[in-house]
Amino acid sequence: MPIPTLAEKLEWLKPAPATERERDCAARVPQGDYEIGVQVTNDILDEAMEVFVRSSRSYFGVSGDSMVAIFTANGDLINAACGTYLHAIIQPIIIKFVKKYYSENPGIREGDIWYTNDALYGGIHNPDQVAIMPVFYKGELLAWASAALHTTETGAIEPGGMPVTARSRFEEGLNLPPIKIGENYELKNDFLEFYSAYGMRAPAMFISDLRARCTTADRVRIRLLELAEKRGADFVIGLFRKMSDTAEAGALRKIRELPDGKFRSVVFNDAIGRTPALVRSCYLTVSKKGDRMVFDFHGTSPENPSSYNVHPQAVVGHIANFMYEYMFHDLPISSSTFSAIDFVFPEGSIVYPDRTAATSCCVYIGMQARNATQNCFAKMIFSNDKLWHQVAAPPGSQHTSQICAGLSQWNLAVSDVLSFALNTMGQGGRSAMDGMDAYGFAWCAFGRAPDSEQVESELPITVTISQHWKDSSGPGLHRGGSGGVQQWMIHKVPTVVSMCMGNGSKVPIGQPLFGGYASSPVPGISIKKADLLAQMKNKSEIALDHHTIFEKATVHGDWHYELVARAPQVFEEGDLLFGLSGGGPGYGDPLERDPHQILDDLEKNIISDWTAHNVYKVAYDPERKKLDLEKTKQLRDQERKARLARGKSFDVFQQEWSKKSPPQEILQFYGSWPDAKPTGPVIR
Amino acid sequence: MPPETRNLIRITEYLDLDVDREQWMCNRCGHSLGSARENYKAGCLVHDRDPREVHQTLVRGDFNFSPDPLWVRIVEFYCPGCGTQIETEYLPPGHPITHDIEIDLNSLKERLRKGEYAIRGQRLEVGE
Repeated sequence: MPIPTLAEKLEWLKPAPATERERDCAARVPQGDYEIGVQVTNDILDEAMEVFVRSSRSYFGVSGDSMVAIFTANGDLINAACGTYLHAIIQPIIIKFVKKYYSENPGIREGDIWYTNDALYGGIHNPDQVAIMPVFYKGELLAWASAALHTTETGAIEPGGMPVTARSRFEEGLNLPPIKIGENYELKNDFLEFYSAYGMRAPAMFISDLRARCTTADRVRIRLLELAEKRGADFVIGLFRKMSDTAEAGALRKIRELPDGKFRSVVFNDAIGRTPALVRSCYLTVSKKGDRMVFDFHGTSPENPSSYNVHPQAVVGHIANFMYEYMFHDLPISSSTFSAIDFVFPEGSIVYPDRTAATSCCVYIGMQARNATQNCFAKMIFSNDKLWHQVAAPPGSQHTSQICAGLSQWNLAVSDVLSFALNTMGQGGRSAMDGMDAYGFAWCAFGRAPDSEQVESELPITVTISQHWKDSSGPGLHRGGSGGVQQWMIHKVPTVVSMCMGNGSKVPIGQPLFGGYASSPVPGISIKKADLLAQMKNKSEIALDHHTIFEKATVHGDWHYELVARAPQVFEEGDLLFGLSGGGPGYGDPLERDPHQILDDLEKNIISDWTAHNVYKVAYDPERKKLDLEKTKQLRDQERKARLARGKSFDVFQQEWSKKSPPQEILQFYGSWPDAKPTGPVIR
Repeated sequence: MPPETRNLIRITEYLDLDVDREQWMCNRCGHSLGSARENYKAGCLVHDRDPREVHQTLVRGDFNFSPDPLWVRIVEFYCPGCGTQIETEYLPPGHPITHDIEIDLNSLKERLRKGEYAIRGQRLEVGE
């Protein structure tokens, strides 16, 4: 089986050297025409992205968790529109695999539609599926077009596409290596039947999303042909080469400007499947010298028998999310921006597991590589006069990824995610200002929270509250952006099945920056046999503030606080689920935060009085919301003195600290303590 | 040498690098935090903080909106001069402290000497 090796994958991330023809064509693209050509590719992709969002059925698609991209004939990424940057850098692996192994049999021809969702062959995880079409012009392979989107079903052992109890890839449902699913611009009916069998929990969504991918890739193909017809194939080839060279030069310049050195970050995960367990999910050392960088993941915990593993290229995909949001935000989305970056993955680790590993929940591990990258870069770029304002703590990424499955109020089979709690995460605190409240999805910067009324009309739930989640963000000189909270009541059906994916119930996800604090952990919360519907019918005075609901348990019923990752359970009409999206970690010492901003946070219900008093040390009249600046200064001076009194010298601290360890029972998947080396084989 | 005439570079919000003396300095009070060829954290005062003092425990039970203090601690690094909280790390108890910043001083000095970098406003400006 030609499953691509890690060496092949890493090689295929790099753009191919320019051919003589490409150089010649690029030299004949004049300034002016070049800029217009770049904008034409942007317009093609933006139009296709609009087609994609409007054609998709799953809530990931509706939210825009997708990407449309253009590649050279060789398979190198030239430009993309999104959505999410997750797929940006890694899709060339799939195209180059197809070219290497399938050029002869079954052959690559005009009108082909290729398809895959298998992370072993270059994807993120199997809910992320991509349609890829070759673009032939007058018989010559000119380019490739792709459309990638997360669909919330794969026919796995649990609904929703990300089974938390899967132990190997064989329990994850559809894992489709690259395959030709259409010829002569037509999908094959035998494939559609095969494919549909994996989506029978939600057939309308499953098939609609597949067709949306194909329609979108084809729209890009058609527009590229129009460009070739208008300007000639040589112009397109030259334009692509020049775009690639320009992107590479821009990336090299940025990297070269940074100080040489080594930068490290370590992050931890608290769930392996539905088992509470501590792992060192990313130990990252970024070495930077000249215009080269190496990301080394040695020290990361071993792989484990759950779906919380991540294949190496999916780690790169997560890192691309940070790089294009912050570091390369002004560069084209192109393979060549990563040409100066190398990656080292230790075999057998959670970031380079065995080929049989389950990885459908890989995003919870991959995100931590992104978070570690963001921390490393903050310390690398703060000294740069042009880049320091791009410094920010990582985004909030702990959240409730709740799946709602069963028959809807329209008697239609559904299996989809309640995506408000994904797309309202808080941005990390920034070097010059707070993180943005409810800025988006940590995996998809442009993700949009869905319209609640549309959700209510399609799924058997009623959204009863929708608010900023108080105290979700990390305190700091510049606090993290607030996350959100929704309360969902099962409505108009007797039962639904709900499971939940996630992490971050015990340990905050994402290290804060420069003396700030992390964001709040996210528990899984539900109430069975809740009396909210009865309260509403009786027109009782209903508590609408989520803090009050939690603190005072104003809704009566069987409350459950648990690990956010939960296997499927049946919920009945009137039962309540809560969706929480993580706030962003904070930036800087909270004692330096402007007291007026704290008062503003209190007014907006972003923070509690408890946090204002205990963390920010601010004095105010809680009734009149009037600051006492003099008292605030006294409180903060006292706290600084208290720090000096309780702080120990590094050596004394080390002597006591090094004797401690977490409880042994939570280290079963950690590896050896504390260096996280494998302690035995993983049995799947 | 008075601080205003030194080659100081801001490496983080609170951490300056004195290039000539190869010292870490507190950006707020100028207190020396030790050799810039070592971990600046070695020059800080350090405190093992119970996370429940910072993240409010809202409900009873194991999952309560606060980090579990048996799983993770907040390691706080303070400037010994002014008490500014220079850095924090959320670490499991006993986990080694991260050596997060290792600037290649020799390379930095060489690039400054060659004029590849200039220091303006305590930041590195790259010559065209």
